[in-house]
Amino acid sequence: MKKDEIGLEEALDSLEQIVEVLEEGKMTLEESLDQYEKGMKLVKLCNARLEGAQRRIECLTGELPPDLS
Amino acid sequence: MTQIFTVTDLNQRIADRLENDVRLHDLWARGEVSNYLHHRSGHRYFTLKDQGSQISCVLFKNNGLTLDFELKDGKNVLVFGDVAVYRPQGRVQLVARGIKQDEGLGFRHLQLEQLKKKLAGEGLFAQERKRALPLYPERIGIVTSPQGAALRDVLRTLGPYPARIILSPAQVQGEGAEESIASALYALQGRADVIIVCRGGGSTEDLWCFNSEIVARAIFACDSPVISAVGHETDVTIADYVADMRAATPTAAAKMAVPDVEEIKEELRSTQVRMMRALWTGLERKEERLEYLKHNVSAKRMYSLARDARQRLDYLSQSLDAAQADKMQILRSRLELAEGRLAAVGPRATLLRGYGIARSQKGLILKAQDARPGDVLELILGHGRLLCRVLECRDDEEAT
Repeated sequence: MKKDEIGLEEALDSLEQIVEVLEEGKMTLEESLDQYEKGMKLVKLCNARLEGAQRRIECLTGELPPDLS
Repeated sequence: MTQIFTVTDLNQRIADRLENDVRLHDLWARGEVSNYLHHRSGHRYFTLKDQGSQISCVLFKNNGLTLDFELKDGKNVLVFGDVAVYRPQGRVQLVARGIKQDEGLGFRHLQLEQLKKKLAGEGLFAQERKRALPLYPERIGIVTSPQGAALRDVLRTLGPYPARIILSPAQVQGEGAEESIASALYALQGRADVIIVCRGGGSTEDLWCFNSEIVARAIFACDSPVISAVGHETDVTIADYVADMRAATPTAAAKMAVPDVEEIKEELRSTQVRMMRALWTGLERKEERLEYLKHNVSAKRMYSLARDARQRLDYLSQSLDAAQADKMQILRSRLELAEGRLAAVGPRATLLRGYGIARSQKGLILKAQDARPGDVLELILGHGRLLCRVLECRDDEEAT
């Protein structure tokens, strides 16, 4: 994973925070919208991470057995 | 005067001394059987030995009747009996009255217990030092044999979870296995968020390398939490004691290491519904909603969000159960309502209600003074545009 890429855990955590803030309902509409859009972006990111996941196996020494690579 | 014994007397004297010592009666001795001989008389003779020493044993015919396993060379046994001296040969021997199979590995087992004690004393097994497993590991290190079924079980169980899998190959049985496992663990230093060290089932002998001190210390030294899964449920090795988490099988270890992808997806679906509900609840709560929208938020933006949210709901409701789908139906109608209202705020709806927008080349005409007689203005209507020429500019307020 690249350094600037947000991890699944981080994304799910921020998502949870966004939902909580939204449900509190204390923000202005504009702020809510910003949060909502941010949240949906995170959902997309997580889904993409989960859907697009291809198995990446590396071997520290030697070669991977042919049935695994 | 110096007493001179006959050999017979001497052995008798030794025998008297040993056989009268209660500490040498009714005792258990642990060792390995060798030189086993089942004499035609029915008596059995063998040598009981460990790494350092040996003693002759005899099991007389009558005592042998209750033996419930086959005695043979190499067998690890626990012998119950008394020490006696076989006078014709002056030989100290253990006269067995009962023999049990030693389920452990005899002497090695004893060593194992000592090692356990030592490591426990150093705090390697302490509960307080066990680390929690990461919820969403990005890098999963696996120490096992690349050829083994254990690795395939683990990979299958990790399934579609998105993580990098880093295999650190190790030899998991036989000569050199301990060193191999330990260095494979060290090699993962700084490279994994969680480590699975595993091998499939095998004989106690096969699994023995996981009872070694260097493997224990290598697990202890790992900079990320370690899940051990060695053999089957009933096999517990020192590696299991040191590991942060012990799994009964490699498959179980993989299940512990990662969350269920379907569960995360479910979580994401419900998160989306929660966000939409919260957003629209907020929207409906604002009393002067439309005013608010006009001045602060782009109606277009709200409208496209509402539409987007409704489409998303349609998609989501396909994958939710009936109870959830009912709740979604309510949310959907609220969204449709919001969409309608938002559409009404946009300029087109306003134009359709009979209003118009006037503009010149300089921009929007908001006041009479923005134009001069003779100017050509464009008048945008609900349908179409008019090009008009200004005849007169009046400032009177009554016109509005």
